[in-house]
Amino acid sequence: MKVSLKWLKTMVEVPSDLAAFARRLDLTGTAVDEVLQTGAVLEGVVVGHILTRERHPNADTLWLTTVDVGPHNLGEDGRPEPLQIVCGAQNFVAGNKVPVALTGTTLPDGTTIKKSKLRGVESRGMNCSARELGLGDEHEGILLLPEDAPVGAAVSDYLGISDTVFDLEITPNRPDCMSMFGVAREIAAVYDTTFELGRELPEPPVEGEAKDLVRVSIDEPSRCPRYTAHLIRGVKIGPSPLWLAERVTAAGTRSINNIVDVTNYIMYETGQPLHAFDFDTLTRDEEGRVSIVVRAAGADEQFTTLDEIERRLTPDVTVIVDGNAAAAAGVTVALAGVMGGLASEVTENTVNILLESAAFDPGHTSRTSRNLKLFSESSSRFERGVDDASCETFGARAAALMVEVGGGSVAEGVLDCYPAPREIPVLSLSMPRLRSLIGAEIPDEDAVGILRRLGCTLESLGGGSYQVTPPSFRPDLEREIDLYEEVLRIWGMERVEPKLPRGEGRIGSRTPEQLKLDKLGFALRASGLNETMTYAFASREDTALLGMRAAEGREPVELINPINSEQTELRQTILPGLLRSVAYNQNHGVPHVQLYEIGGVFNTSEGRKQPRETQRLAGVLTGSWNQQGWNEEARGVDFFDAKGVLENLARELCIPRLRFVTLTADEAPWLARGQAAELRSGSAVLGWLGTVHPRSAAAFGAASPVVAFELDVAQLLRAAADAREFEPVPLYPAVTLDLALVVDGCVPAEKLVQVARSAGGALLADVRVFDVFVDADKLGAGRKSVALALSYRSPERTLTSEEVEKLHSRVVRKLEGATGGAVRST
Amino acid sequence: MQTVDIPALQDAALSALAAASSSKELEQVRVAVLGKKGSLTQVLRGMGEVPKEQRASLGALVNVARETIEAALAGRAAELAEREMETALQSEAVDVTLPGRTRTIGSEHLISRLTREIVEVFRGIGYRVVEGPEVETEYYNFTALNAPPDHPSRGLQDTFYVRDRSGTASRVAGESEVLLRSQTSPVQVRIMEEEAPPIYILAPGRVYRRDVADPSHLPQFTQIEGLVVDEGISFAQLKGTLEYFCREVFGPERSTRFRPHFFPFTEPSAEVDVSCGICGGAGCRFCGHTGWLEILGCGMVDPNVFGFVNIDTTRYQGFAFGLGIERIACLKYDVPDLRMLLEGDMRFLRQF
Repeated sequence: MKVSLKWLKTMVEVPSDLAAFARRLDLTGTAVDEVLQTGAVLEGVVVGHILTRERHPNADTLWLTTVDVGPHNLGEDGRPEPLQIVCGAQNFVAGNKVPVALTGTTLPDGTTIKKSKLRGVESRGMNCSARELGLGDEHEGILLLPEDAPVGAAVSDYLGISDTVFDLEITPNRPDCMSMFGVAREIAAVYDTTFELGRELPEPPVEGEAKDLVRVSIDEPSRCPRYTAHLIRGVKIGPSPLWLAERVTAAGTRSINNIVDVTNYIMYETGQPLHAFDFDTLTRDEEGRVSIVVRAAGADEQFTTLDEIERRLTPDVTVIVDGNAAAAAGVTVALAGVMGGLASEVTENTVNILLESAAFDPGHTSRTSRNLKLFSESSSRFERGVDDASCETFGARAAALMVEVGGGSVAEGVLDCYPAPREIPVLSLSMPRLRSLIGAEIPDEDAVGILRRLGCTLESLGGGSYQVTPPSFRPDLEREIDLYEEVLRIWGMERVEPKLPRGEGRIGSRTPEQLKLDKLGFALRASGLNETMTYAFASREDTALLGMRAAEGREPVELINPINSEQTELRQTILPGLLRSVAYNQNHGVPHVQLYEIGGVFNTSEGRKQPRETQRLAGVLTGSWNQQGWNEEARGVDFFDAKGVLENLARELCIPRLRFVTLTADEAPWLARGQAAELRSGSAVLGWLGTVHPRSAAAFGAASPVVAFELDVAQLLRAAADAREFEPVPLYPAVTLDLALVVDGCVPAEKLVQVARSAGGALLADVRVFDVFVDADKLGAGRKSVALALSYRSPERTLTSEEVEKLHSRVVRKLEGATGGAVRST
Repeated sequence: MQTVDIPALQDAALSALAAASSSKELEQVRVAVLGKKGSLTQVLRGMGEVPKEQRASLGALVNVARETIEAALAGRAAELAEREMETALQSEAVDVTLPGRTRTIGSEHLISRLTREIVEVFRGIGYRVVEGPEVETEYYNFTALNAPPDHPSRGLQDTFYVRDRSGTASRVAGESEVLLRSQTSPVQVRIMEEEAPPIYILAPGRVYRRDVADPSHLPQFTQIEGLVVDEGISFAQLKGTLEYFCREVFGPERSTRFRPHFFPFTEPSAEVDVSCGICGGAGCRFCGHTGWLEILGCGMVDPNVFGFVNIDTTRYQGFAFGLGIERIACLKYDVPDLRMLLEGDMRFLRQF
């Protein structure tokens, strides 16, 4: 809400320290978003005196003028010298005083005046019209200033259009502050002073009886509690007087013409939106009366609003109907509270005005605006709620002003259809309860004074209890708590002494899951991964590009109103987001990327309201862990780096029976064949890891190789034990024997370890693979050598070498038998 | 038998010891004197040939000489070992300004870190952390939080709606009863439905608003919601709690102010500003020349909200607050473009 200080001062006394004033508004709940100086934009526009006016030698429609601008143009002798200005307007003569934009001036519409040649004649400045100065719509001729205007004076000073405009944030609960009058009342309450609406208007001349000319009816009072209409006849449409143009401009609207400006002016002044119909476009019945009906729109009704857009309506929209029109249900002439129709719009030929001043229901207005994407100054006020008690008063004020600026007369009597006056609740106020909820000793008299200044009537019931009747313009004051808020904000939140709630028996703790989740993050970061966040949105292509298939009956969660075509649904996997981040880094010269993200993935099924949400942990690695250094080589990451991260994670989370099971290309098409595994704890599947298929990586712009993993967080936490059991530290030494076994290339290392463990029994304390090599010449095609370090130890005694050798040969026998391999002779 | 001049032998050995310049040379001296064929060993070996009467005196003389030489040898050995170790260390000295060899530890995302820090502040005064779904129903996100049925924030312009697969139709064309939560406040309602007071909770999480991503907006961001429901809760306690929070997070020198505001789910409601850390409250470009930076919204829980969850308002009162982590990140680190938080740029992430 834009508030002109000059205008405001006509209603209420405003402190001279404007910075302190703005702070006080902030602290009482009316945020000052911005303080603007207007008139400053007219810097460089001065009063000029036209000394001569002659025909342009080369153009019939242009004039050559010399204009005295006083000290703004000095000749070589240092004395004022007139400017030569070429001018296209026809409405002036030599001797007129006009606004002159000097060269270098930038006008409100953004044009900058430069020294130029027009048809071969030099022009140094511009004689301006009202529109060029942003003072109205008049652009036929230049703005003629009074004869006594002082030559050389700044036009903004001379016209008094220098102003300060406060842009106020009015919260949705304060419909009353959507007007100058309401803001003045609020300021008066804050500063404990008086306020007034402004200039009283003279009674307009009266002619004819309104009830003989118009009838009004409301179909559903819940849509429109009150509809009043005034009839103003014989007006002359024309430009607004300067003061009117200036005020509507300050409030943020363009000046259109005197009648439209009055509707806007009264709306800004009082908060009552108005609509002016061209009375003669409405159909008269046999008695010469126009019939206005307020009702629901028809299903699929078409209507052209005054912005010349045809709109399709639904019965949820409230419309104003010309009830006498030929169509059976009448013809719609306006969308109630939102916008008028093109057909009944006030034009320059309009003579008679039907002025609507009504109260429409906030809900229908707001839905209509949203459904039609049509937001107006009027709808923003009805959405919050317009006071039905004052429709008639403010409508009459507008009618009187129309006559003042446009001539004509007002028809006697008001058409007032008022089926549903809003009931004003009577509230009880308990000061002890108020003090306890606020936690401050606010005296009764302070609270009473504040509420009275805000327009409430109070009656004391004794013992700090009061009966409070809020004013009609405060529909937000419905409950006792609403009064507390009013008292607190004006009394001052800053005066409340801060305290902390008592803390008996209250403990801030973490759940076991939260503790595990913390450990999970620490383990990943300790492994060298950097946490990131990516969008939870996805495109339909994301999973298709990866070849990921959702489980049977699981479908993506679609957005009804996505922002763009890349983010039309919620993600089902984190991998695409991370691959995009890999690409982003690679494209910005960062080849080494180690990222992880913990976040939600989503899917739904037919019949479900809310989708399934699952937390996932995903990671990507590419490039190398380290940069090549003075003392180390950079090593590119591969499958086993990702696996190592997960092994660390499993260790930290105490996940037992960890297994990595090969995934086929069919099971995980987004991973490179042969470098893909499923992570399990026992039989529980925790997720997958592997090298991303180069095709999948490329689909998201990432250069291969990229290793990645994605795990289900709930499964991880479920598999995680709270802690491991203690095992005694070995007392006796271990004997470690190495063994190289040549086996078929497809025998997994895990198999060798399993066989060795089972053969070695309790005395085989550890089996570790420490070397793998392939050499077709030495080992034979398709064969590999796997070297194992086997550590034998008893918890009870030192093993003899005979015992160890016996056991070891058994292990070797079993290994050879189970794998068809042979110990490699060294 | 030829007589041996033991003192001369001893003197010769001692001077040879002293002359040895390395452990190796010293060992050669030892071998030459005390080794199997060493000069002193030879004397001892020849004892049998020494006349009996001279044997005792010569034996004593030789023993003294041996002990003296051995002691000198040990001393000299220690001396040389020390010197040699020093030399070795000197040759192994490194340029300590060369980079270390590390397995680089990963970093926590700025938003997670701030969330954790804020959670810790409140954990210290007895709050628990709870969570709720990101895809919510209109009821939890709006209705039960006292948002009017036609509130503009419910519109398709502001809130992401998802297809409702349960077959329920919506009142406003194109909308749905299922949406991406636009705030963490629905968690309040869920907790109050499930638990009886006293309630002291914090609910961090991701929220969504239909803003096109630009330097100062993201369609997805992070909020922390706080809720207290207990007996005797007052606005003064809300103020005390949030002032404590601001001091902990922004530092003791920063001040706070409460500005009355409007939220459907609290009454009275306020926005909280913290004094600008750059100008100290005098006003600068960072704070828009106001001296203050808005950081959160808060208020006393509206009785209507308690009504939705059947909490007895004659016995319990409550306060709630909500803050945006991205906003705090901007205020603390002056992040120039919020989109950096979602790009995964290693050069950005590694800074925190």
